[in-house]
Amino acid sequence: MPDQSLLTDEVRAMVGRESASGAVEVTLRGWRHAVEVYTGEVPSHTPNDGDPVSGYAIAALETDYEATELPNLLPNSILIANQWEFERPLRMGETLTAFYRLVDVNERFGGRFGYSIDFRAEVVYRDAAGAVVARSGRTMTQYDPAEARAADGEP
Amino acid sequence: MTVAFGALREGDELPVLHLQPSLGMIIRHCALQWTFPAFFYDPEAAKAAGMPGTIIPGPFKVGLLYRAVDEWLGESGWIRQVRAAHRRPDQTNNPIDITGRVARVYEEGGAKRADLELAIINIEGQPSVRGFAVVEFHQ
Repeated sequence: MPDQSLLTDEVRAMVGRESASGAVEVTLRGWRHAVEVYTGEVPSHTPNDGDPVSGYAIAALETDYEATELPNLLPNSILIANQWEFERPLRMGETLTAFYRLVDVNERFGGRFGYSIDFRAEVVYRDAAGAVVARSGRTMTQYDPAEARAADGEP
Repeated sequence: MTVAFGALREGDELPVLHLQPSLGMIIRHCALQWTFPAFFYDPEAAKAAGMPGTIIPGPFKVGLLYRAVDEWLGESGWIRQVRAAHRRPDQTNNPIDITGRVARVYEEGGAKRADLELAIINIEGQPSVRGFAVVEFHQ
């Protein structure tokens, strides 16, 4: 464990800061690919523009958007959680504005990773009126393998 | 499948979804996400990283939880939220079961909703993922 907290003012100041926003589009191609990836089947119907579509489409939107790199405070990094959240169903053909932000940073003392730092980040998708439509979140834990008890979790 | 909100009870179980994610599925997921860590598709790279074989990406598993809920819910409503807390890796080609139960049935702001507890159970019977979902039923 380090002698002092690695969560410096500089790191804490990253929390809540929004990246530059960019446009993403719910496309037929992206939605079809996502459905095929998760269900193993090619969709049997073709939604029209404006139709609600299954949330798998958010995985294709993620590809359209570059997340900001997290600072490397400890040698190893592992994914411990993912989240998809929708305020309403995505609609075929709609253009959304996306931005990335670090939601929270926390230190953990002890546990399976020993001293570790959790970074919870999300990409937020807004419609043309500025209303939040969806969020895609993930939590990464950085840790020192010398302190970890077991390599649980996902790289 | 059709799920009626009025007939839903806390403790109701979702049908178990049996899956066996193949290397082909994982490669397609890597392509969708445009992320290619070699230990997801190259057995030698996985072994070099200390893993017994290639593993299923965590972001893929949240999509599988979504699928289990989506197949149960059908046209009865839509999924507001799915969360996955990763506990241990799952190896590619190993069978997994996705289980779920209704944890809470409620109305909120005029919307009919249910909270679901989910899990991915690995070949040893251990939960590799603990999950959670919120669904909203059509009026």
